[in-house]
Amino acid sequence: MEGHHAGPVAAAALDRLSKRYGATLAVDGVSFEVGQREILGLLGPNGSGKTTILRVLTGYLRPSAGSAQAGGFDLVREGRAARGRVGYVPEDAPLYRHMRVSEFLVFMGRLRGLAGERLHDRLAFVRERLALDDVFSIIIGRLSRGYRQRVAIAQAILHEPELLVLDEPTNGLDPRQIIELRGMMRGLAAHCSVIVTSHILSEIERVADRAAILLNGRLLAVVGIAEIAAAGSDLERTFLRLTTEIGSA
Amino acid sequence: MTVLRALIVKELGALFVSPVAYAIIAVFLLLSGYSFAVTLIVAKQASLVPLFFQAAVQFILLVPILTMRLFAEERRIGTLELLLTSPAREIDIVLAKFAAAMTVLLAMIGLTVTYALIIGVYGDPDWGPVYSGYLGLVLLSGALVSLGLAVSALTANQIVAAVVSLGVFGILWSIDSLASLLPSPMENWFLGLSLLARFTPFATGAMYTSDFGFFLALILLGLFLAVRALARR
Repeated sequence: MEGHHAGPVAAAALDRLSKRYGATLAVDGVSFEVGQREILGLLGPNGSGKTTILRVLTGYLRPSAGSAQAGGFDLVREGRAARGRVGYVPEDAPLYRHMRVSEFLVFMGRLRGLAGERLHDRLAFVRERLALDDVFSIIIGRLSRGYRQRVAIAQAILHEPELLVLDEPTNGLDPRQIIELRGMMRGLAAHCSVIVTSHILSEIERVADRAAILLNGRLLAVVGIAEIAAAGSDLERTFLRLTTEIGSA
Repeated sequence: MTVLRALIVKELGALFVSPVAYAIIAVFLLLSGYSFAVTLIVAKQASLVPLFFQAAVQFILLVPILTMRLFAEERRIGTLELLLTSPAREIDIVLAKFAAAMTVLLAMIGLTVTYALIIGVYGDPDWGPVYSGYLGLVLLSGALVSLGLAVSALTANQIVAAVVSLGVFGILWSIDSLASLLPSPMENWFLGLSLLARFTPFATGAMYTSDFGFFLALILLGLFLAVRALARR
């Protein structure tokens, strides 16, 4: 079942992407596209290659074979241009805990070439958008998990990326924070495309337009959430059916 | 340039927010002050040569503590992923860390200039060896920092980074002691690699272009290896 593309030009594209760690093939010939303003969920059990795919799409890892593009730029040949069009929130939202929120965001902004008026405007935008007013001058190490996640998202959208990549963003959040994050993701998708991974199928079902289902580094299918619902099924059943069929094959 | 400046400011903040840099500076000044006082008061020599050698040995021991966290810590907590997925180049990231660590070492070296001023005021020192000794210390610290950075870029474990750096520095410092056991031309190769043999002319006021080039080559080699270690992913 192939879902629709949200726009004519892909915000990100993988073409027969493979990634090998020594003798282990972590990702095996995966191809898919992410449309403009689309939210794509990456689903799969542990070790299915989700994080590796995200790391290739953000330029952190280089493909062993195949190619990856972000914002129309090849992540190997035009790495800096491609990385400049991607915002990334790694799993567990790593941050410089000794910095104040404001210092950290200014640093990340400058790292992405923002300065002067533009940096000031973007800081004001993320501060308002992610409700960081109360914590803007607080040291990051003293923030709650939920606020740290917001700061991590703020740094990822500072430079108005075309593609926002979120790796397990709901990890460690309480139910209220998860609901808030879901709302934020929907809001952010008005400005950029989003790729999100999660172990929680219902989370993907609630926020994503499509879901790419992975098993053992291979792409089983890309399914449209609305199309599944229209067929009287849900993501959980689809996921179980696909992974069981392949697992028993 | 904006990116490099932002990275350097970040690195300096990270170094000086932890007590490690202050502890290293304090220990260095305590030991070098003791050495200077003994040379001046007990041996009654208006010379900084013993201080230069003692500072060099201290650098061998202290630089691994300074450089061990530079990449290893970022790799461990995951912030290296933030840096490497930004448009910043690997060379910018490496140069910023090099510049920040060198700032600490230059501050340490700079504070010992007080000793030179004291012997200048109360004695009549030969200034040639003083200038060359300080230049040698700067070059030696540059080489140690760049090699320490390269080791730190290869691991996520700070202790491993420190121990390996210490081992590399120790071997390079004293490799000339093995040289006499080896047949020619290996004897000359080992002598040529010795940090002690290369540093001694600087500390005693006899500078050679080849020694200058050796330290410069080590600095560039360390930076290159650190960049390669980051790019290998």
